[in-house]
This record gives sequence, C-alpha cells and structure tokens, in this order.
Amino acid sequence: MPRHKLIASESDGKDNEFSLYYVEVEENSKGGKEKQATRDGKRRRARKGEVSRRRASEKRSTEMSNKRAEKKHEKHHKTTRKEGEKHRKRQRRRNADEEAEEESSKEKKNIKNERTKTLKLEDEKEKDVKKKRKKHVKNEEDDANPGKTKQKDCQDVALKEKKKKRKKPETTSESESNSDSESKDNQAVGVLGSLTPEELEKLKEAVDERKKLITTLKGKPWPMKKKLVILRYEFVEKYEGALGKGKGRKLYAYKVMMMKKWMKFQRDLENFKTACIPWEMKIKEIESHFGSSVASYFIFLRWMYGINMILFGLTFGLVMVPEALMGKPYGSMPRKTVPREEEASAMNFAVLWDFGGYAKYSVLFYGYYNNQRAIGWLKFRMPLSYFLVGVGTVAYSYMVVIRTMARNANEEGGGDDTSFNFSWKTFTSWDYLIGNPETADNKFAWCTKEAIVEEQESRKDDNIHLTRFLRVLANFLLLCCLAGSGYLIYFVVRRSQKFALEGLENYGWWERNEVNMVMSLLGMFCPMLFDVISTLENYHPRIALQWQLGCIFALFLGNLYTFIIALMDAIQLKRAEEEIVKKNMTIWQANLYNGTVSDNSTALPITVHTGNVPRGPCWETMVGQEFVRLIISDTMTTYITLLIGDLFRAVLVQFLNNCWCWDLEYGFSSYSEFDVSGNVLGLIFNQGMIWMGAFYAPCLPALNLLRLHVSMYLQCWAVMCCNVPQERVFKASGSSNFYMALLLVILFLSTLPAIYTIVSIPPSFDCGPFSGKNRMFDVIQETLETDFPAWFGKVFSYASNPVLVLPFLLLLVLAIYYLQSTSKTYKRINMELKKKLQTKQNEETKKKNKLAANELEQARKAGEQRSNSSQHTQNSEPPVSSTHTTTRPPASRGHTASGHLPGHPQQPQKNSHSNRK
Amino acid sequence: MVSPAIALAFLPLLLTLIIRYRYYFVLLYRAVLIRWVRDCLTGLSREERAFQYILTHATPGDAQSILDTFDHWCSKVEFISNIGPKKGKILDRLLQEHCPITVLELGTHCGYSTVRIARSLPIGARIYSVEMDERNAQVAEKIIRLAGFDEDMVELIVRPSDEVIPRLREDFGVERLDLVFMDHWKRCYLPDLHLLEGSGLLGEGSIILADNVIFPGAPNFLRHVRRSGLYEVRVHRATLEYIRGIRDGMAELTFLGIK
Repeated sequence: MPRHKLIASESDGKDNEFSLYYVEVEENSKGGKEKQATRDGKRRRARKGEVSRRRASEKRSTEMSNKRAEKKHEKHHKTTRKEGEKHRKRQRRRNADEEAEEESSKEKKNIKNERTKTLKLEDEKEKDVKKKRKKHVKNEEDDANPGKTKQKDCQDVALKEKKKKRKKPETTSESESNSDSESKDNQAVGVLGSLTPEELEKLKEAVDERKKLITTLKGKPWPMKKKLVILRYEFVEKYEGALGKGKGRKLYAYKVMMMKKWMKFQRDLENFKTACIPWEMKIKEIESHFGSSVASYFIFLRWMYGINMILFGLTFGLVMVPEALMGKPYGSMPRKTVPREEEASAMNFAVLWDFGGYAKYSVLFYGYYNNQRAIGWLKFRMPLSYFLVGVGTVAYSYMVVIRTMARNANEEGGGDDTSFNFSWKTFTSWDYLIGNPETADNKFAWCTKEAIVEEQESRKDDNIHLTRFLRVLANFLLLCCLAGSGYLIYFVVRRSQKFALEGLENYGWWERNEVNMVMSLLGMFCPMLFDVISTLENYHPRIALQWQLGCIFALFLGNLYTFIIALMDAIQLKRAEEEIVKKNMTIWQANLYNGTVSDNSTALPITVHTGNVPRGPCWETMVGQEFVRLIISDTMTTYITLLIGDLFRAVLVQFLNNCWCWDLEYGFSSYSEFDVSGNVLGLIFNQGMIWMGAFYAPCLPALNLLRLHVSMYLQCWAVMCCNVPQERVFKASGSSNFYMALLLVILFLSTLPAIYTIVSIPPSFDCGPFSGKNRMFDVIQETLETDFPAWFGKVFSYASNPVLVLPFLLLLVLAIYYLQSTSKTYKRINMELKKKLQTKQNEETKKKNKLAANELEQARKAGEQRSNSSQHTQNSEPPVSSTHTTTRPPASRGHTASGHLPGHPQQPQKNSHSNRK
Repeated sequence: MVSPAIALAFLPLLLTLIIRYRYYFVLLYRAVLIRWVRDCLTGLSREERAFQYILTHATPGDAQSILDTFDHWCSKVEFISNIGPKKGKILDRLLQEHCPITVLELGTHCGYSTVRIARSLPIGARIYSVEMDERNAQVAEKIIRLAGFDEDMVELIVRPSDEVIPRLREDFGVERLDLVFMDHWKRCYLPDLHLLEGSGLLGEGSIILADNVIFPGAPNFLRHVRRSGLYEVRVHRATLEYIRGIRDGMAELTFLGIK
C-alpha cells in the first residue's frame, strides 16, 4: 500500500491522472477492505489540510491488523535505506573534502535534499506512527535500563518517541528518496557503483559514529527540550544540507518547500477537479474493467444527462414554476379542475400512475395552462414563454448535437484505411485503459488470434451458394420481423382506440397498457433476434454489427412512427369530438342562462362549480399523456430487463453452478455481456421521444432526468456486479460520431411530427396556453402587435415578405454549398499531402536502406581487412551495422504514422487505432 | 387476461431462442428422440446397434477402420458421445508426446477411446479401462477384441470407478499412472480425482485428461483443479463431438507432484 502512495506522490503534477488511475487499478486487484482504505486515502488527498494528520490516525487503526506484514516491509525498506545512506554520506564527505565544489552540483544536491525532506515529511508521518508503535516497547526498555530517567506519563513517553523518530528519519530520508527515485540520480548510482571496499568501510564507520552520537544523546538524562536543541545544533545543522544553517540555505529551503507545497496543491486541485466531474471515478473503474467501449456508453449517458439538465432548467424555470406560482390556482377554471365525474377516482394510485386524475390537471401537462396573456405582478407572458421554450429546447438540442459532431469530425482522418489492417490491429490496437486481467485476455485474443482468423476469413471463399442462401433467408427474416412488428403495433394502437371509444373503465390493466407493453417487448426482443440473424448471415463482424445497428434503428423508427401515425388518428377523433362538445357547450350555456333567468333575474354572473362545466377532450394533453406513459413503460422495461436479464441470470449462474448438470458459466446462460450498441440506441430513442413529447408535457424532461440519473447508478452497478467483459473488446474511438449522427437523425425525425402538429392543427378551444387562437404560433404575431412598438411590427412584416425571405434563403443555400465545396477541396489537398509525405518517406527509407547496406558492405570489407590484424577490432564491428538496422524501424514507423490512419473511421465500431479520446 | 397481441410480441424471443440454440435442439433430437425410437423398434440397446453396424462395415483387426466406422455411425446414423475425431487428435498428440506406459481409462463406454489410445501406445504399455455398466462392457470388449488388442494390452474392469481406484495398487499391481483419461460421469470427475490424489498413484509428470469439461461440463472439477495448485492446467477448446456449434473442451492436467 505505501508503495502505491509513493508512486502517486512522486509523479507530481505532470501525469497526475495517470498515477491516480494506477492506484485505482491496483486497488481493484486487491481485497475489499484494503480497497476501501486506499480509496479513503485518495479522497483525503483532495482535501489537503488535514491530510497527513488524519491519514496518520487512520493508518494507525488500519495498520494494527497488518502490522506483521508491515514490519517485514519496513525491514526491507531499511536495508535499501541503509545502502542509500552510505552513498549519501560518502557524497557528503567528498563534499567536505573538496570545499571548492561547483555551485551547480551543490544546488542539485540541495534540491535532492529538499525533495527527500518534503517527501519524507509526508511519508514520515504515516510511518512515524507505525514505527512508534513498534519502537514504543523497545524504547521503553531502553529507557528503563539506564534507570536514569524516571517513569513518566505514558503520553510523555510517546511524545519522546516521536521526537526521537523524527531525528532518525531525517538521517535516513535521503536514502529513501534514493532508493525510490533511483533513476533520477543516475550519476549518484554511478558513484555508488564505483565505491571501493575501503571507502565503503569508511562510510560505514561514519554512519556508526553518527548512530553512536544519537544514542548517547538519547541516553543523556536531560529534559526533552534540551535534547532537541542540542540535536538541532549538533547534528542537523552540521550534517543535514538544506535544513542546516548556511548562507542562503534557509531561504532556499523555504523556497523549495513552498514549491513542493505549491505542486502538491496543484495536484490536489487536479484531483479535486476530477472529483467534481460527476461519476468520473465510476466511469474510470468501468473503463478499466470493460474497456473503453463500455465506458463510452456511460460517457454518452452523462452527456445526455447534461443536455437534459438544461432542457429541464428551461421548462421548469420558464414554464412550470411561473405557472404554479403566478398563474390562477387549481380549481379556479374548468381547465384547472378535475371533472365532477372523475373526482371520485382522481386520487387513486392506479389513476395517478397512468397520469390521469389530479396529475392530468396539473402543471405537468399542456391542458392546465391558461391563455391569459400576462400573469402575475411581473407581467410574465405565459403563452409566449411556453412557445419560445418549446422552440428553444429543440433549437438548443440541434445546436449541441451539431457542435459536438463538428468537433468530433476533426478527429476523423481521411485516407485509404483499408491497407495494413492486420498490422494495425496487431501493433496499435491495444487499449491502454484496460485494467482487468480477463478483459486484457479477451483483448489480447482479439488483437492476435482473431486478427489472424479474420485475415484468413477475408482470403478464403467457402461455399458461396450456401452463404448466399443464408443471407437471403436472413434478410427475408429481417424484413418479416420489421413488417410484423410494425403491423403488430398498428393493430394494437387501433385496438386501443376502440377500447378508448368504448370507455377504458370496462377493460383491465392489460388492455389499457397494451400499446406500451407491446412496444417495449418488441423493442427488447427484436434486437436479440437481429443479433442471432446477423450471426446466421456469416458476415464480417464489423459489417454484421452495422447491419444489426441499422436493423435496430429501422425497427425503433418504424415502431415510433407507427405509434405517431396512430396518435394522429386519435387526434382527429378527438377533434371531431371537440366540435360536438363546442356545439353542446352553447346549448348548455343557453340552458343555464334560461334556467337561471326563470329563477332569479338579478344574478347575472352565474356561478357553476368549475368541475361541472362541460369541456373539450383536449387532444394536446392526450398526446402528452401518451408520451409520458410511453417513457414510463420504456423505463420500466429497461430496468426489468436489467434485473432479469443480468442480475437474475448472474445469481442463477453463481449459485446453481454447483449443482447443475452442465457448466452454466461456459455453456448456456453464462454471464451476460454489456450490449453497448443496444443501450446507446435505446438512449437515443428515449431522447427522441422526449423531444417529441416535451411540447405537450412539460414534465417530460424532468422525468427523463430522473430516469437517466437512476439508470446511471443502476447500470454502473449492474455492469460491475453481473456482466463479464465482452469477448470482442472494441475501442470506441470514432463511434461517438456515429451515434451523434444517429442522434441528429432522430432529433430531426422527432421534431417533424411536433412541428406538424403545431403548424397544421388548431389548438383546443378550452385548454392550454394557446386556446382561442387559430394556430399556436399566432402568439408571436400577437406579441409583436401588442408588446412591441409599431415600427418593429412593420419592420418584421417587411422582413417576412417573400421578396426578402426567398433571396435570403437562396443566399444561405449558396453559402452552404460554397463551404461544403471548400471543405471538400481541403480534404482532397490533405489526402494529397498525405500521399506526398508517404512517398517521400518511402524514398527516404529506401535511401537509408541503401546507405545502411553500403555501410554494412564497407564495414564488412573493413572487417575483412582488419580480421587479419586483430581480434579486438572485429568485436567493435557488429555494433556499427546494428546501429543502422536499429535506425531503420523508427523511420518506417514515422512514415506510417504520417501516412495512413489505421482502422475505418467511416466504420466506427472497430476503429482500432490510436487513443482518440 | 393477456391479450393475443402481447403474446405475439414474444414471438421474436421464441425465434431467437430457437435459432441461437438450434444445435442443442439437434442434439436433443439425435441423442434422445432417435435413440428412444430405435430402442423401441429394435429391442437392442444403442451400443449393441453400434456394434452390429461396425461388425458389418469395418475391417476386423484394423483399428483405424473401426474408428472411422464408429465416427460415421455416430455422425450419420445415431449419436453416441465418444471422444470423436477432432478431440481424438488432441489425445493422439498427447500420447505421442508422452508415450505413457500405464494408462487408466475411466468410462470405457463402447471402447472407442480405448481403441484410440491402445493403437498409439508403445509395446509393453497397458491400459486399465474401467466401465460400470455390464452391457456396455460386453460391447466394449467385443470391439476391443475386434480391433485386435488382447488382454495383456487392455484390461477391462467392470466395476464403478470409485471402487476400482483405491484398489488399483493391490489388485492390479499398478505403481504409477502415466495417463488418466476421464470420460465417465461428469459428476464423478472430482471425487475420482480426489481418490487418485489420495492413492498416490500419480507421479510427477502424470497427465490427467478430462473430456467434456465445458459441455456437459464439470465446473467443480475445473475449479478444484485450478485452485489446488497441484496441476498445470490447459483447457483445449473444441466443439462437442459429431455436432457443430456446441462449445466443449478437454482439460489437460499435468501433475506437478506434492510439495
């Protein structure tokens, strides 16, 4: 354990993350208790102030158990320390001998001293406590033997021991650093190596002398203070470089100390920064176990979470909260009241779970909002805000997605990437973030064996007829599956409309949730089928994966659009119903007036309970409700799949394996693998649904936020506890852009229906912020007319004149075209440059080869000549030729690095090269 | 009541399972159903049918011909879980490398593997083949004799393996086993290994070859072997005999000796 800490503290600011990571990995391989302890330690490092003290105290508690092991360790340390000490001493002695040593070398030494001192101060505190315990008994005996010192308080003794220990490490500190950072002072090592036995003897003597000095000091019957003072003057300042008194040494020591502190602070700041990134440690841990492709899913999830956070902030802050605070309260209007006939069951859990009852008549849905132009003392323009937030969320999403795509696009190199596939895979496709032996095995197998197999596969052509037949069959099956699932959803939605017309109360839970159930089940099972079919097709795995992704995408899209088309039908039905209600409304009002007039002619404002007023069906709320239900059922299915497919399976395998008739771990129902592509697609489609439904149900981003949050924790946990690393460990370097492209497509496709409904269908007459208007976007015109000065409206009307708009659009198109063609040209130029570099490199390597060959020839000739003269010269020859042979590979490597980029950026899953992330 | 639409949504799952585990269905069909039907039709046991086929189709005295006929019968006519040609090659290679003098075979069944081992053994080597079932042993003996191996070469012991192993030294005068081939009940792998360890018949460099450790599988056996530290373990990955697509493996353990 201390080893790792040393490592962490040694590699100061530079590759801080890496060292941290290293520690983390080490922990993983260790047992749980230790792991906990070290993790605590790591966290503590972030809060530097109390670090050392607390560490010491904690150390004491944890170390008690491992004391034995620790002792051994210590012994080992001591031996190394002693060695270093000798050589240190020796250097010092030499220093004393040659008074006029160079300033530079002195300084170097001082630095070393300082380094060791600070290092030590950190480490010492831990070790102090350990040692203290051990030495405690021993020293007590020592003290007792002379009999001069009286038995003091236990505390006092402990304090004393501490001080004594403090002395000791000071002498040994340098050695520690030497043993640890041996590579740094190679020169010193050289000195040590050149020591003669006599000098060593001298060194030993010096060490013994000093030890004697300390022991005599210890044995003196003085008070502690005096001892300390004498120690400082006699010993420390005399022998201990930078800590001692000297010209400018104090300042220097102070400076170095401050620098050390500053570096430590910086390191801690970095740690703190990483700690501030949400879930970073979790993701790193997963990355080390499962490779970067699985981690990329979680990074994607986190990114999604961030976006949803902003969407949620917009809708929550600008729509829901103002309406809840400043709008008319519940029960003040018909649209804000539960109808009389539903009142009895409005608080039932089943109803609320379906987002009916009180949930339906709340800020969560479109229908609750009032069409009052300005609400509250702030004169908050509610309808306008509602509309702008709806548009703004979508616009923001577009912006973010496209920006990310553009950023990722830079990293994609062009070029012919099909050549040298095998070499790339074997030599460059290692994922350095893997920290789990099993994953590493899999990755290794993929890099070597499977690469060979793949290469063989690509060269051999087996029974072409059989493969053709299988492929045709597989595609036929795929089409059947897609069509079947589409039809099934259409059928179910139609049936649910029938149920709705007849009244849902007559039907059970299954009938009411049929649509969602069927959609979720299909979304769960069809990808599995595609997976199996793709293995049947016997394609290259990369192509198979793409096919599979395409199929899943088509399936999800088909399902979603069938759902939307069915929803459109439902909207039409609702609107027809609305017309009837409108008519009935006037009749009802007339009746009301008539009835009251006959009774009492004076009371003109008629008061009817708002729950009794007849109202339209409000199709917007219906749409919002459908989407919310879809999201909920989707989430539920995901979690249940996780529990059954992963956890239950893992438990089964774990516990039944002992008493089962075949090997569950290797055979059927082994542990599941994490399905990255399926999960990412699920996430993307979920987001699509959010974008589609958010306009009609402002609560959707909040729900999604909740879902993402929960699934982050749940999936992290599930992955770590019941999944095994994939057999094919992909590196997910370029795939992110592929997924981004999918996200963009989904975004576009999901905004289409929303825009269609907004533009072409008039809003309901008695619910929502746009009630009473002809179209929803009329709110903009209204605002322009009433809230802005007249000239602004005029300018706007001019600007929206087709005469101006059309040329502007044309200009835009031209600009896009221009930019696109320039980027194409750049790309081509890049390619040519690459090619040129390549040829140049080729020539150079050729030249070098030739040169090397020439020299080899010459050397051989010379060797032949010299071989007669002596043996000695011949020995020096092989190096000559070997240097040239060794210079060649780097050159060729450089050529490849500047030449093609490996892998297939356009085929993202298997991008096997360089750490792009 | 569950609606038919929801039931239909499970169809992809069903299809998936069928396609993914099609080999297991094939195995079920061939190993269980066909066997049952033939048993009823002929009144003979499966092993006897195999012997009849071999008697009519193979050349007596030619081990290779008998093995080939066996393979043909197992892959084309019916299914018997012998070691099979592919895993047999691993066995052959091992035999060639180590040239064992004393071989213990647990689970003779029809004698396929016995013939396979016997034909590549050096002169003077001896196989002790243990079979529990009386009828199988009769068939196995006939086949072994048919292949031309006499009682000096192959000693067939008709007793359960857990009775035989402790008495090997006394009854048969075995001092050391160079090769142990396990292909009997997968449940017995571990207890028999314990017995072998206890009997002291294993010396340094003795090889234990266990078939079917992945399918049907002997997880406890593998776990013990990996943890005990007495063996150097290699698992040869292969497919189940006569059936494509089912993964299986043979564990090759080299006894390192007790320290």
